[in-house]
Amino acid sequence: MNRWDGGKPAALLFVGLVFASFTITQVWSDDRPSVRGDAESSHLRPDVQATQLLAARCAVCHSTDLITQQRLTRIQWDAIVQKMVQWGAQLSDTERDVLVTYLAARYHARDVDKAVGLSQPITSEEPAGLATGAQGPGVRQGPAGNGEWLFTQHCAACHGAAAVGGVGPTLARNPIVDHERQFWDTVTNGRGAMPPWGSILNAQEITNIRTWLKTLQ
Amino acid sequence: MTETPSGLVSRRGILARLFGGLVLALTNGHVWWRPAWAGLIEPASQSNESHIVRVSRPLDAETPVREFVSWLTPNERFFVRSHFGLPQAENVDPSHWRLTVGGLVERPLRLRLDDLKQFEEVTLTAVVQCAGNGRAFYRPTAPGVQWERGAVGNAGWTGVRLKDVLAQAGLQPSAKHIQLQGADRPVSTRTPLFVRSIPIEKARHPDTILAYQMNGRPLPLLHGAPLRLITPGWMADSCIKWLTEITVGADEAKGYYMEKAYRYPVHAVEPGGAVHAGDMKPVEAMVVKSLIAQPAEGTMLKPGPVMIQGVAWTGEGTVVKVEVSTDEGQTWTAARFVGEASPYAWRQWQFVWQAHPGAHTILSRATDDRGNIQPLASPWNPGGFLWNGVDRVRVNVANG
Repeated sequence: MNRWDGGKPAALLFVGLVFASFTITQVWSDDRPSVRGDAESSHLRPDVQATQLLAARCAVCHSTDLITQQRLTRIQWDAIVQKMVQWGAQLSDTERDVLVTYLAARYHARDVDKAVGLSQPITSEEPAGLATGAQGPGVRQGPAGNGEWLFTQHCAACHGAAAVGGVGPTLARNPIVDHERQFWDTVTNGRGAMPPWGSILNAQEITNIRTWLKTLQ
Repeated sequence: MTETPSGLVSRRGILARLFGGLVLALTNGHVWWRPAWAGLIEPASQSNESHIVRVSRPLDAETPVREFVSWLTPNERFFVRSHFGLPQAENVDPSHWRLTVGGLVERPLRLRLDDLKQFEEVTLTAVVQCAGNGRAFYRPTAPGVQWERGAVGNAGWTGVRLKDVLAQAGLQPSAKHIQLQGADRPVSTRTPLFVRSIPIEKARHPDTILAYQMNGRPLPLLHGAPLRLITPGWMADSCIKWLTEITVGADEAKGYYMEKAYRYPVHAVEPGGAVHAGDMKPVEAMVVKSLIAQPAEGTMLKPGPVMIQGVAWTGEGTVVKVEVSTDEGQTWTAARFVGEASPYAWRQWQFVWQAHPGAHTILSRATDDRGNIQPLASPWNPGGFLWNGVDRVRVNVANG
C-alpha cells in the first residue's frame, strides 16, 4: 500500500495504547511519594513523610545509603541533621523533628550489631582483652543483614526509600514478596520497564533483599 | 525508519514510534538501569565482584581485601573516595587546567600541566589510605562513611616534588602551612569546600609529590586527574585530588574540613565522650596496620597446611614484624615477609597455618620499628579515624 490504510483496527490499537499508558502512569503515580510542602504531606504517617523527606531533601546532595548505614543516638542524629540544614538542606523545624525521630528509631546506635538474617552466624564470644568493647572486623552483621542496604543501593531509586514506591510499585507488604518464584523471576529477568538485575545482584544479595522486604509489615 | 516508498509513514512505523515513545516516557530517556558508577569503574579482570560501594553518590567504594594478594593495586581496582563527586569536566581538562601557587610567596605561579615538565620527575610507590578506613569497627559507632577494610591501596605515583614547585615560587619567611584546594564542588553553595593544609615541613619533604601518573598511566579522573598531592606515610586527607590551588600561609587553613572534621584527640578519651576542640590535632601520619588478604572471610577450607597471606605498613618508619594468631590473641606466631620492600609501600607477608577442623578466626598483628604494635581495638575518637585494630578473618575448616 502506498497510503495509510490502517483503518479502524489500528486506530483502536492507538487509542488503546494511549489509554494504557495513562493508566499505567496513573497507577504508579498513586504510589509515588510527592513532597510539595508541609501542608500537603503532614497528613501522612510520620514514617512515610520521613522517607519522602529523605528522597526529596537529603538525596539532593547525596544518596541515602550514606544515611542508612549510620547507627547513631538521637542526639547525634539531631546534630547531624542540624549541620545538614546549615549546609543547605531544605527542612522546616517540623520536618526536622519528623526526620530525626524516624532516623533515631530506625538507625539507632544500640542496633549496630543486630543481624537481620542468619546466613552467617555472629560469634557469641567477646574477643579477648577488648576493654573498650570495640569488636573489630569479622564480628559485625553477617552478610544477610545487608538486605536493607542493598535495597537502598539498587532498588530504592525506583521503588522508593523503605519500599514505599515511586516510579516502580510499592514493595512493602506487596504479595509478590511471598511468591518466591515470581519474585526471583522478576528481579533476575526484569519486567516491563524494570531492568534485569540478574547480572548485577548475586543470589545471596537477592535473598537478603527479599528477607528484608518480608520484614516490612 | 519504516517509511514506505511514497514517503508516508506506514502503520508499522506509527506503532514503532508509539511504542518507542512509551518506552522513552517510562525510562525518562536515560539508560538508567546501570548503576551510576558502572561507567566509571571497569569490572575487574580477575573477578566478577565490583567494588563494595558504601555511598553511591557521591561515590565512596572500597576494594575487596582479597585483591591485596597483588602488591600493586591496579588503577581500576583502587578504592574511591569523594566528598562531592567528580569536578566539572572543563575544570580538569588538561588544556584549561591551571595550578595556582599564591599567598606568602615571592613569585605567584600559574602553571599548566606542561609547565611541570621543567621540574625533575620522580616516582615512588606508596600506600594511600582513607583516614576513615575501618571506622565501621569502632564501638560506640562514629558518624561518617562506614568503611571496613578496603579503603586503602598501594600504587606507583609519578610526578614532581612539591618542594621544587614551592622553591620556584619562593617561600616568604613567615610561611608555615601549605593550603590545598581541588576542583570538586558541593551541590549546595552553603556546603563548605574541601580545603585542608599541611605543615611546611611535610610540604618540603622530598618525597611529597604532585602526582600526574598512577601506576605509570595518566592519573584517572576518579583518582584526581590531572594532578593530586601524595603525602607518603600520611593519611589520604592530605592527598588532595583535582588540585588547582596552593596557598601558602602562616596558619593552618580555615574551614570545616581542617578545623572540625579531620581531627582526632591528643590524649585518650572516654569512648563516646565529647572532646574539646583545643584538644584535637589534624589527622596526619598513618599508624601501623596489617590486612589478611587470603583466605577471605567465610572461606571453607580443608584441614592441613593453609597459606595465610596479606600486607602490612606503617606511617613513619618501617614494619618489622607481622604475627598471626588463631586462638583469639593468646598466642602469636611470626609470619615471613615476601616480595618488595619499599619505604612507603606495604610489605607482603605469608604464614603457613596447620588448619584443623572447626570454626576459626585468624588474626594478624603488625609491629613497626618505632615499637608501635596494632592493638586489639584502636583508641576511640569522635571521627572514627585511624582504625588499626588487629585484622580478623573467620574461616571454617571441614572435617577431613
